[in-house]
Amino acid sequence: MSSETPLDLLKLNLDERVYVKLRGARELTGTLQAFDSHCNIVLSDATETIYELVDGELKSRTKDSEMIFVRGDTVTLVTTPAE
Amino acid sequence: MSSATESTTKASEQFLSNIIGKSVSVKLHSGMLFQGTLESIDGFMNIALNNATEHYETAENGLLHRYDGDVFVRGTQVLYISEA
Repeated sequence: MSSETPLDLLKLNLDERVYVKLRGARELTGTLQAFDSHCNIVLSDATETIYELVDGELKSRTKDSEMIFVRGDTVTLVTTPAE
Repeated sequence: MSSATESTTKASEQFLSNIIGKSVSVKLHSGMLFQGTLESIDGFMNIALNNATEHYETAENGLLHRYDGDVFVRGTQVLYISEA
């Protein structure tokens, strides 16, 4: 097995912008301040994208938070944001 | 540990270390399917993929997303990993 575990590789993203996918089609982008082995994550300057159906049409809106603590059990994926 | 569990452990460890660097498919409980190069994997089935693509259920179902950077997938969400 590789000596670099997936969580070791996540460390490379500390202080960088990350895109976090959560359960239930929720997503967040923010600056990765901290994380642990449960995938509890602290993001600063975070933006939450909220998708909702309005009259059968998919709409998205965003909500900004200066600092946000995400409980690890809802996290499915962490990567660098597209752009 | 019984010898049956021992050989299962050996076989699964061998499988997991053999597929590092190979192209793999990872399916999650949600039905999302990720394909990419396996960077690393740990005992919790946390997975790091490179050049990952995202599909729903099968790769024939069309590309939903392409990730240019490394993708970290949380082990508790993983249903299976196999060589693509």
